[in-house]
Amino acid sequence: MSENNLILKNPLKFIKEDAGHLLADGQFGAILARAGEGKTSFLMHLALDNLLRGKNVLHICLGQPIKKVCLWYEEVLHRISDQYELNNTNVMWEMILPHRFIMTFNIEDFSVKRLEERLNDLTEQGIFFPQIVLLDGLPFDKTEQASLSKLKALAKEHGFPAWFTLMTHRENNIEQPDDIPSPISHISDLFEVIVRLRPAGREINVQLIKGQKVDKVP
Amino acid sequence: MNRDPAKVRNIGISAHIDAGKTTLTERILFYTQRIHAIHDVKGKDGVGATMDFMELEKERGITITSAATYCEWKGYEINIIDTPGHVDFTIEVERALRVLDGGVLVLCSVGGVQSQSITVDRQMSRYKVPCIAFINKCDRSGANPFRVIEQLREKLNHNAIAMQIPIGLESDFQGVVDLISMKAMYFDGPSGEQIRLEEIPQGLRAEAEARRESLIDAASMFSDELMEAALDEKVTADVLIDAIRNGTLARGLTPVFIGSAYKNKGVQPLLDAVTHYLPQPMDIENFALDMENEEAEKKLETDFSKPLVALAFKLEEGRYGQLTYIRVYQGTLSKGDTIVNSRTGKKVRIGRVVHMHADQMEEIGSIPAGYIGALFGVDCASGDTFTSPEIRYSMTSMYIPEPVISLAIVPMDNKAQVKMSKALSRFTKEDPTFRAYVNHETGDTIISGMGELHLEIYVERMRREYSADVTTGMPQVAYRETITRQAEFNYTHKKQTGGAGQFGRVAGYMEPVKDEFVFENRIVGGAIPTEFISSCEKGFKKSMEKGQLLGFPVTGVKIVINDGQSHPVDSSDMAFRAASRLAFLEGYRKARPVILEPIMKVAVETPTEFQGAVMGSLNQRRGMILGTQDEGNISVIEAEVPLAEMFGYSTILRSGTQGKAQFTMEFSTYRQAPKNVTDELIKKAAEGKKR
Repeated sequence: MSENNLILKNPLKFIKEDAGHLLADGQFGAILARAGEGKTSFLMHLALDNLLRGKNVLHICLGQPIKKVCLWYEEVLHRISDQYELNNTNVMWEMILPHRFIMTFNIEDFSVKRLEERLNDLTEQGIFFPQIVLLDGLPFDKTEQASLSKLKALAKEHGFPAWFTLMTHRENNIEQPDDIPSPISHISDLFEVIVRLRPAGREINVQLIKGQKVDKVP
Repeated sequence: MNRDPAKVRNIGISAHIDAGKTTLTERILFYTQRIHAIHDVKGKDGVGATMDFMELEKERGITITSAATYCEWKGYEINIIDTPGHVDFTIEVERALRVLDGGVLVLCSVGGVQSQSITVDRQMSRYKVPCIAFINKCDRSGANPFRVIEQLREKLNHNAIAMQIPIGLESDFQGVVDLISMKAMYFDGPSGEQIRLEEIPQGLRAEAEARRESLIDAASMFSDELMEAALDEKVTADVLIDAIRNGTLARGLTPVFIGSAYKNKGVQPLLDAVTHYLPQPMDIENFALDMENEEAEKKLETDFSKPLVALAFKLEEGRYGQLTYIRVYQGTLSKGDTIVNSRTGKKVRIGRVVHMHADQMEEIGSIPAGYIGALFGVDCASGDTFTSPEIRYSMTSMYIPEPVISLAIVPMDNKAQVKMSKALSRFTKEDPTFRAYVNHETGDTIISGMGELHLEIYVERMRREYSADVTTGMPQVAYRETITRQAEFNYTHKKQTGGAGQFGRVAGYMEPVKDEFVFENRIVGGAIPTEFISSCEKGFKKSMEKGQLLGFPVTGVKIVINDGQSHPVDSSDMAFRAASRLAFLEGYRKARPVILEPIMKVAVETPTEFQGAVMGSLNQRRGMILGTQDEGNISVIEAEVPLAEMFGYSTILRSGTQGKAQFTMEFSTYRQAPKNVTDELIKKAAEGKKR
């Protein structure tokens, strides 16, 4: 199977035909799920989809070492390769590696200012220009709206969309008036797309809470 | 000499560079009264630490060879191998871990789990070595032992559990609270040799109780007795120690101790911990292969009376001839015994048996099972197994990585030539990752090893220990060649011009493959007679030794032969070998050959303010930065960089970061060299030929 065929298998396809353009530059998307229900795997699919399109993916992970993040990528690619019986995984890996950059931070040390410094280090020296940012593990309960707004401004300035993962808890299942769980309801206006993952037997249902849905499901 | 294996501990001390393991070993030797004065690694007295006995080590403040030593603590005999911290010398660490039963992982309370700690930990897992951790340098500014414990859990997946809490930290570091006895320990006297036990300071009591609870919770997973005792709130020290020991032996728990070796604090409790928690030789299952029974696995028993099985794990050329460090797994090795080297089958008579203590030795009569000692005058290679004559066992071989860098060395005169040969013969015997050979085309002597520093150290040792005056060329990278597409060959080798002729035709195709070399015979109908198929394989294999592009070894080629022709008289082994060599050349040209270059995995640890500069320096070296790990004041940058670009990087890194950053690197993979690099290599090769 070629990388183009792999792109077609992206789980976000059902939301919008061209999942790669689900978010415009400066826009935010959120992936909501309870612990262990596939946020990181979903993020990996999103990353691989963009990497296969040749886009530069900046993967920011809080509270995890680089090694672990690299292992996730290897694991997801390995599984995809087994499932679709790919024989050119090595070539594919070599092809996507230059387009990926991982940044990890201690949760308590992360700030928008710090990220901005790191981003400037990369772009000013021409090392890496992110075209999409994935942010895994940001504690939304401790994150103020003001700092997220700053982050949004930074995304606009550097011209990239950003996806966030957000862990929900059992009590967040209580339906909110706008159907957006409480950890994100107070800042939902900052997000253009919100997706919720829910397990259903052996499958995971992807529910679009906010954003545009296409009529045609491939 | 004590002959109870239950009271023997064979331990290794492993750590990142500068975490302080040599200083720690020095203190251990002092408290166990093996030495009577303390000399620091870079001490002002100019004596240097006892374990760093090579002159060079003293000068550079790093430990190059793993000196073996032993000491006694409270009736226990502890054999210590002080292992080097630099990644270039990992073969030493690997060999040490192979023969040891337990490990002490030394970590810096400021630097925490650093890149080399990860490598060392991986090596410990490979040999399933149970370990305890010691967080050193708690007197340093920025010390935070609990952050290090957290890192042990997160980065190394250890179930790390604090056995002590510090009383004060940084310049105020006074002692520790022992969570087993629930007493405060202070280390008095000029060298901390007097331990004063006191009640826990009031301000630390609540924390100590909470941490003891966590310790009991973690340990109770390994002991029903402790679990019951905990429920009844009747936990005794012995029950708790036994449970922690069970957990440690199962590698399910890593007890963590804290202190400052330099300030003489916390070393004696660590020695107690070695005797309490690390395994005795009988706790570890060791296996050998029975060479006379189709290499069936045989479990070895720590029994003095059984036939001998021992492993030579390190060689050194001393003043009195070759010194062989040996670990006895079964039986007893005594002076005057006749034993057999199972690799060569040669019988050896044991002359002198000694106990080593850095560069001093002590004559002993025998080495019983479970012990480590050294022999004199035994001719063998590192990794050889010795047994009693009635059995033929071999210990499983040790993992040895391939060298990635080479260097031409030229002796200044004939005298230097002789000395250099002597030195090389000794070094290659001592260290299997260090190799030496003569390039027949240029006549140069080439040495190869695991990194620039690795080779530098050997050249320096050659000059100092052997007074061999040598000059070195530029380091050469071990490039490879490979093919990138399928190509056919069909070659007829024909020499039938009078006399005995030669005839052979070989046809088929070659294609890229992951493995180094694959040969497939698809000949049907006897187009090439069966007896010549292996001649073809040998011919093709021979061609892989030197690629046509630049003369580097070829890798990743699958050869399929599907047709051919022979002559009833003129076909021979030689004719088909020649036909295959030339068929290879024909196919190789069409298979678009490329140059592969070794790529190193580089990890740089730097203060955060230099992160940008370090990334820039790696980027300039064609490095692909995989990611950055921000850990407060320290950042780790992981990158993949071609080896050819890493020469002299330590100097560049030092000058760009005011000497505050350090890096480690290890071989990662071979990757296709970019066109400009290949062109440059072709140009250089052409110039070389012209000369």
